[in-house]
Amino acid sequence: MAIRALLRTGFTGLPALAAIFCSLISTGLLAAADPAKVLRTTIEAQDAGFDPAITANYYSGKIMETVGESLLTYDYVARPSKLIPLAAEAMPLVEDDGRTYTFKLRKGIYFAPDPVFKGKKRELTADDYVFSFKRFMDPKVRSQWRFLFEGKIVGLDALSKAAEKSGRFDYDAKVEGLQAVDRYTLKIRLNATDYNFLYIMAMASCIGTAREVVEAYKDDLGGHLVGTNAYMLKEYVRGHKIVLVANPNYRGFKWDFKAGDDPADAEIVAEMQGKMMPRIGRVEITVVEEEHSKFLSYAKGETDMITRIGNIAESWQDGKGLKPELKALGMKRHDTVDAETTYYLINFKDKVTGGSSKDRIALRRAMIMSYDMEKEARVVRKGQAIPNLMPIPRGVVGYDPNYRGVNHYNPDAANKLLDKFGFKKNAEGWRNNPDGSPLEITLTSEATQVSGEYDKLWNASLERIGLKLKVKKGNFADNLKAAKDCQLQMWGSAWSADYPDGENFLQLLYGPNSGQSNNGCYNSPVFNRMYEMSLRMPHSPKRDKLYQMMSRQMEYDGAWKIGISRVRSTLTQAGVQGYKKHPMLHAEFMYMDIDLDKRNAAYSGKGKP
Amino acid sequence: MSAFILRRLWQMIPTMLGVVLLVFFLFNFVGGDPAYLLAGKISNKEQIENIRTQLGINQPYYIQLWIFIKQILTGDFGVSWATNEPVSHIIATRIGPSLTVLVPILIIETIVAVLIALAVAYVRGSLTDRAIMVVCTMAMSVSLLVYIIVGQYVLAYKFSWFPVQGWGDSFAENLFKYSALPILLGVAVGLAPNTRLYRTFILDEINQDYVRTARAKGLSEHKVMLKHVLRNALIPIITNLMIYLPSLLIGHFLIERFFSIPGIGREVILAVERSDFPVIKAITVYVAAATMISNLLADLLYKAVDPRVKLK
Repeated sequence: MAIRALLRTGFTGLPALAAIFCSLISTGLLAAADPAKVLRTTIEAQDAGFDPAITANYYSGKIMETVGESLLTYDYVARPSKLIPLAAEAMPLVEDDGRTYTFKLRKGIYFAPDPVFKGKKRELTADDYVFSFKRFMDPKVRSQWRFLFEGKIVGLDALSKAAEKSGRFDYDAKVEGLQAVDRYTLKIRLNATDYNFLYIMAMASCIGTAREVVEAYKDDLGGHLVGTNAYMLKEYVRGHKIVLVANPNYRGFKWDFKAGDDPADAEIVAEMQGKMMPRIGRVEITVVEEEHSKFLSYAKGETDMITRIGNIAESWQDGKGLKPELKALGMKRHDTVDAETTYYLINFKDKVTGGSSKDRIALRRAMIMSYDMEKEARVVRKGQAIPNLMPIPRGVVGYDPNYRGVNHYNPDAANKLLDKFGFKKNAEGWRNNPDGSPLEITLTSEATQVSGEYDKLWNASLERIGLKLKVKKGNFADNLKAAKDCQLQMWGSAWSADYPDGENFLQLLYGPNSGQSNNGCYNSPVFNRMYEMSLRMPHSPKRDKLYQMMSRQMEYDGAWKIGISRVRSTLTQAGVQGYKKHPMLHAEFMYMDIDLDKRNAAYSGKGKP
Repeated sequence: MSAFILRRLWQMIPTMLGVVLLVFFLFNFVGGDPAYLLAGKISNKEQIENIRTQLGINQPYYIQLWIFIKQILTGDFGVSWATNEPVSHIIATRIGPSLTVLVPILIIETIVAVLIALAVAYVRGSLTDRAIMVVCTMAMSVSLLVYIIVGQYVLAYKFSWFPVQGWGDSFAENLFKYSALPILLGVAVGLAPNTRLYRTFILDEINQDYVRTARAKGLSEHKVMLKHVLRNALIPIITNLMIYLPSLLIGHFLIERFFSIPGIGREVILAVERSDFPVIKAITVYVAAATMISNLLADLLYKAVDPRVKLK
């Protein structure tokens, strides 16, 4: 039609048509999600449904982030992580010393089609975010993310308290600190300055959900998430398969990210720059728990992208690269270090290990110095982990690559430290307390094969310095309960970043957080003071310095044996383009593309590796 | 007969009560507090208490026990604590994939094992008999895990005869495409012990006087083996099958996990890991009921197979 019209008008209408074409592109109507481009990938554990207010499951977050839109997100390529607007048209107006945030939403963002909308297009508005954020504080929702909002927004806690009494959360009640000023303007007022609040606004759980959808699906929202992002939930077989297809109401966007220092960035930018997104029409995600099955399926070409295959690294790894036969098929390896750290807490309130007396500090530090974290990373974790020196891991604001720990592995120094503080050995070779009473350390762990390997490492480590170890097994729920009650002497735990700021890790050591997240019950007045000071500071070299001092303080006190961050190796097939793991984002599908010719060519006539 | 059935059904009630008490005791004293798992990464005592209230686990034990009994009577076990998915939906959607794999394994393995057992029992003591028994012993010594890993590597990956893992949307696709390898491996694993077991049952019968009499009467070996020996050996075979039958309801965790089959076996393990008591309760009750019913069925089948059996 357009060509006929052009011929008839003698091309006089060309500028008008060009304008229409440009506007189509800008509204995303020509966004090129190709149904033939199917990305088949796996997750290694079951999700827990997709109700954004309820679940903190990582794999659920992958879907929530792909289906829904938070106000902000992260620049896909930039490192360290950089916030950019998503549903918001720009970064918010920040006033009142970081306590008031005004977000302007993009106009024309529409939810994916769903029977709940009765065939009408439903626009995303500021009210949807007000409703979605209120859900975190509804006691009946049992949100795992409640802590993100609790005590933060003016008037929201009072509404939650009233709901606890009445048994009904009043979603229509006005909350002073959470208001839709107009259809597209959201104003949030905090009780106190929180420089990390904007990170929360970029979390997968903080996507905008429509009230009528939540009310229609009630408790089963987890199986019927409807959002405004690039993909919509097409099929969901719980615990087995999730199929996403391009959302026909999505506006699209142009892939426009700048390459950073990472040498791989240049290739990604060259492949993707300027493309209208999303490109992939369908994403099929299967739960494959076994690495062996996952890898064979991938190597055979049944899967396009797999991750977390560290336990069978010998099948595919060749140094820091891929085995030649896999490389020859155009497969690529992408390594990232997760923004997380494992740690062993040593209870600060325990009768044996706790307290601030010099001998107890010496005991804890000697225990920490006896354990070879490098060996754990190399042997037990098969090189798929990097030891951390400070509680803030790589990829998180406040991490200092030049930080050097003081409690590094040194069994000789640990022995001397114990000798110096009077932990003498008895006739059997085990050390007693300085007062001569028997000394035994109790490590609590779960009854799994992996835990058993760490138990053995600890047993050998403490034996080297003459400390007798007793391992107590329990299920995770009971161990967690005991840890929150400060009842565990020593326990291995881990923390993944909710947002990329060191505060998210240091709060695990803040004294008043005992019983909530500080499971080691560490309580140092010096640390606590520095932590409180840091909360009042925006990101700056001065605050980084403070984070380092806090790390040093917890090391001096021997609060944790700081652990490792896992290396996440992802393998992609030939033709899969644009993959780069972001430390905070859960999913990358909307930033990726598939070159079908390359993918098909890789398997034609070459056979399996 | 009907009096026997009624009596057996009546006897199921105290047995079920015993199961209920055992599950209830194990969950409450060993199972771990689910509120701590559901509360998320950072939680305080009030939030945990709020969750406990919503789940009803801070109520007196006798009330919790009564709720459990009411759930059994109504067949409504509520929703999963971890995902809010109705328990009935969990069982209804996961049992199909498990049965798609396990029922063919049971049928094929039983038929093949009985036939081989009959054949080797007939030539007992021969080289063939000994060779098959040695092979069976060797096959029994290898763990299922090895069968799966080697089977997946050789048959699915190297020879491309089957997909490595997966599950589709249609029954036919699942049965003939995705279940083929798991069924083959399942049969391979179960065949050896069952062949040995059934051979013993058949040998017990072969040496009986009535077999000698049948032969003396001039009956063909074919008739002796299939009509007389097999029929009498069926009672222990039925017992063995009926013991296995209820386990179909809990799926096969290893097979489901390695082949990504969305069956009930994975769900059971996950429920235990998550302290998801409604799911654990429902599956335990169903398996207990299935066990009792299959025992009753076994007794009825004994009567059908051997009219001399008296049902008391």
